[in-house]
Amino acid sequence: MTEPSVGDRREHIAPAPDAAALLTAVAGGDEKAFGQLYDLVAPRVFGLVRRVLRDPAQAEEVAQEVLVEIWRTAARFDPGRGSPTGWILTIAHRRAVDRARAEQAATDRTLKVGAASVDTPYDEVADEVTGRIERQQVRVCLDGLTELQRQAVTLAYYQGHSYPQVSQLLGVPLPTVKTRMRDGLIRLRDCLGAEVPA
Amino acid sequence: MTTEIHSLIGAYALDALDDLERAAFDRHLRECATCRAEADELREAANHLADGAWSVPPPRLRDNVLAAIAQTPQLTPAAAPRPRVRARSPHRLRWVAAAAVVLAAVGAGTIVHTIEDQRVRREQALAAILTAPDVIWHEESLASGGRVRVATSDRRDAGVIMLDADQAPTAGKVYQLWTIRSGVPSSAGALDEGQSVSTRIVDDLSTADAVGVTVETAPESKTPTAPLDAQVNLA
Repeated sequence: MTEPSVGDRREHIAPAPDAAALLTAVAGGDEKAFGQLYDLVAPRVFGLVRRVLRDPAQAEEVAQEVLVEIWRTAARFDPGRGSPTGWILTIAHRRAVDRARAEQAATDRTLKVGAASVDTPYDEVADEVTGRIERQQVRVCLDGLTELQRQAVTLAYYQGHSYPQVSQLLGVPLPTVKTRMRDGLIRLRDCLGAEVPA
Repeated sequence: MTTEIHSLIGAYALDALDDLERAAFDRHLRECATCRAEADELREAANHLADGAWSVPPPRLRDNVLAAIAQTPQLTPAAAPRPRVRARSPHRLRWVAAAAVVLAAVGAGTIVHTIEDQRVRREQALAAILTAPDVIWHEESLASGGRVRVATSDRRDAGVIMLDADQAPTAGKVYQLWTIRSGVPSSAGALDEGQSVSTRIVDDLSTADAVGVTVETAPESKTPTAPLDAQVNLA
């Protein structure tokens, strides 16, 4: 069995082979290329932001910020550090989480609302999974995590909770949460890397 | 210390750190190439969690975004390798390090300790505000590119202004921060020339109506120059 290289692992996240070429053109100020890039990635950006924020109106606002940010900073994309889609999703997730935290701080001083959904984060994920092959893959891989790893990773990623919040929600010490997030992601990485054909 | 911070790598890849920790972790990554590689890999793994989240946005989003980018200047490739975190004052750190060497050489260890101590106290003060149970966050984009975030806490009777501009103003110009009460601006200090990122603790900030950011002629201005680069309403 051959170990897939880091490069292979990164490639497969891109939905189309030419995202990199489009991004290069966008970095050069090509608005038409940006339109194509938009068509390629907007559903993923909007989907992710909406997944984290839940409110469609807010999600639309943040998705717009993210897409404009991609236009603005396209020249910063460094292919040595990941795929174009990965870079875009990283921006999207960060913005969505920032917004979720701002909302949380403004409206929800306690963790009670979050606590109510503690039991279901993974089920919610499963609900939205509708059979695309790659989704199945991440789902299968999530199943390979321990319960605590999965909870720690999904509470942070899908609900925008900070690790101290996750620690409170799950009632486990901070160092444990940090470790579970890390080894959960490592297991996820290895699983995705191993199962995706090059 | 390094190991301590490195244990945050999973939380970092999941965006589960607060701003201070994230900045500290970015610093850690700048100093450690293998850590960067690990962080990139974990980030890519985390990105796969978005594989199931796919949702067609309303058609107006496309129109809005395309209209917005037509008005939005792009960062030049030359500016690209300098991420915004860069400006977290490498100069000052270098200066502190240099000072530490000199002072250690003459045996004045207590002064080094004082510098370190002030830094720690500042970080503790920041943490106290940012983690206050009643902390309220506000955020606005800078017209010149970047963001300003303001955290206020009545309980701590203070707030934090975090300026995170994409790039420093042109030579001879600086960013200046203002608090505005009943329409009257008062300076909360200016950044240094060439500086684009700053985190400032401002006493009594929760009683202000707004925070303003302007671009002024260095070193600073007595009154804000219109138009404001950003205004963050706190009311």
